[in-house]
Amino acid sequence: MPLLAETQARLARAMLSGDASAAVPLLSGGERSAGRLAIHLRHYEASLMAALAAKFPACAWLLGERFFAETTRRFVHRQPPTKPCMAEYGAEFPRFLAQQPASAAMPYLRGFAVLEWHLGQVSIAIDHPPLALSALRPFAGEALYGLTLRLQPGIAHLRSRWPIDELMRLYLSANAPDSYLMNEHQVCLEVRGARGVFTMDRLDPATFAFRSAIAAGRAIGAAAEAALEADAAFDPGGALARLYAERLVVAVNRGA
Amino acid sequence: MTTASSRKAIRGTGVGLRLPHLVEVAAARPPAAWFEIHPENFLANPHATELLEQIAVHYSISVHTVGVSIGSAGGIDRAHLARVHALIERIDPVLVSGHLAWSTHKGTYLNDLLPLPYTEETLDLLARHLVEIQDTLGRPYLVENPSSYVGLDASTMDEPAFLSELVARTGCRLLCDVSNIYLSGYNMGFDPYAFIDRLPADAVGELHLGGFTPEAESEAGAEVLIDTHAGRIAEDVWPLYAHAVRRFGALPTLIEWDNDIPPLATILIEAARADLVAAQVLSAEGRHAAAG
Repeated sequence: MPLLAETQARLARAMLSGDASAAVPLLSGGERSAGRLAIHLRHYEASLMAALAAKFPACAWLLGERFFAETTRRFVHRQPPTKPCMAEYGAEFPRFLAQQPASAAMPYLRGFAVLEWHLGQVSIAIDHPPLALSALRPFAGEALYGLTLRLQPGIAHLRSRWPIDELMRLYLSANAPDSYLMNEHQVCLEVRGARGVFTMDRLDPATFAFRSAIAAGRAIGAAAEAALEADAAFDPGGALARLYAERLVVAVNRGA
Repeated sequence: MTTASSRKAIRGTGVGLRLPHLVEVAAARPPAAWFEIHPENFLANPHATELLEQIAVHYSISVHTVGVSIGSAGGIDRAHLARVHALIERIDPVLVSGHLAWSTHKGTYLNDLLPLPYTEETLDLLARHLVEIQDTLGRPYLVENPSSYVGLDASTMDEPAFLSELVARTGCRLLCDVSNIYLSGYNMGFDPYAFIDRLPADAVGELHLGGFTPEAESEAGAEVLIDTHAGRIAEDVWPLYAHAVRRFGALPTLIEWDNDIPPLATILIEAARADLVAAQVLSAEGRHAAAG
């Protein structure tokens, strides 16, 4: 008889491939054992497909249930979860979705799926107590430029060459039209949320550069430089004050 | 090794606390005896965890993990166990439990509770893993009998013998899922009453009840029962539950309803029925003892 490790390796291969045949000799129960093992195989596939459908309903709406189901079926076998928490499964799905040949006609699809992923993630975040602008008072002049700021966890920034936010608003509205013409133009988006609600806002390119750099952990000075590259008239001081006014800053750290 | 929860022991029938009911439970505090959670629903969901912490102020909580993978030959998922431990520290549950199964293989989570061969090798592995889990969590860890559709040819003992030996070797406690025993008995062809009679009664610390779904098999007329937790407790399970209460006494019981989740009130009705069945059994036992 195979050792436990070999037994589990063969069963795992069956689960991931969807083909039970190599594992059937391990089973007791005669002819019906293959069908019984298929219960586990079906559950693996169906439960993960359902988890993705719950996370990406807008993508399912956009793509149609059949194509979406076929794509999620392929995804759960190619990229199975690595953690037991289903809230963490699916971050790689937008990339996989965009790689499907049938997705070539929708160059905005990956960005749309990433947007939907972020909407889901910020919706389950919670706000932390924000800092007041006065927390910066001890850091005058040059010292300010080296600081990094930690923002509320329910915030994400993404840029797309397509107005994916308009498409998402159509999905979220009760009266989406049967057809909608997507015209290519860049959008810089900030997604915010907490405790079950979210917002999507467009930012001008300089503010986007500043805020996304801050959110990525870059120092205030580096974030300001990135913003000034986008717009020489950008006002870093005002942008910094707005972060505080919008209750987004939760910690200040001295830079490395 | 273990430190018990600072909370009182739980009594009566609790219900599974699932995400769709969190806001309602936190706000309305329905008359549930206690709640059980799957930590996997909370560990990556800060909003749900925040609500859970509010709920845990008013209710006793049992933590039932589906992701530690106690039976994995490659080792338990220690990273996940550490996250479960952190949650346990925050909510101080009354009970902590998991399954006699495996679900992780070489870093891949298979999202199912997969069958184990009941062998000496598996016993040794589970005994080591149980010690590690209980030492990490600082609490007893109850092991639940699985729902079975297929057996493994390598098994050298049956499930009651395996569980009894596991208890003898480790001193662990058991979570007796009565519905799983009924379902497995139907699917695998054993007597569920005899199964219950063979479990070490002193080790059983909790009972589970959950709905299952019959599914046609390829053979003409044959059915297999699928552990869906998607409906009421089957009528045939209630006498088996009464039998379990007669054998194990008054233990906390849980109603599991994880799919096609109805209003909480519907699940609470099932919990009330379980309380009634247990009360009738215990009352009759009391009369019997008094008459004897």
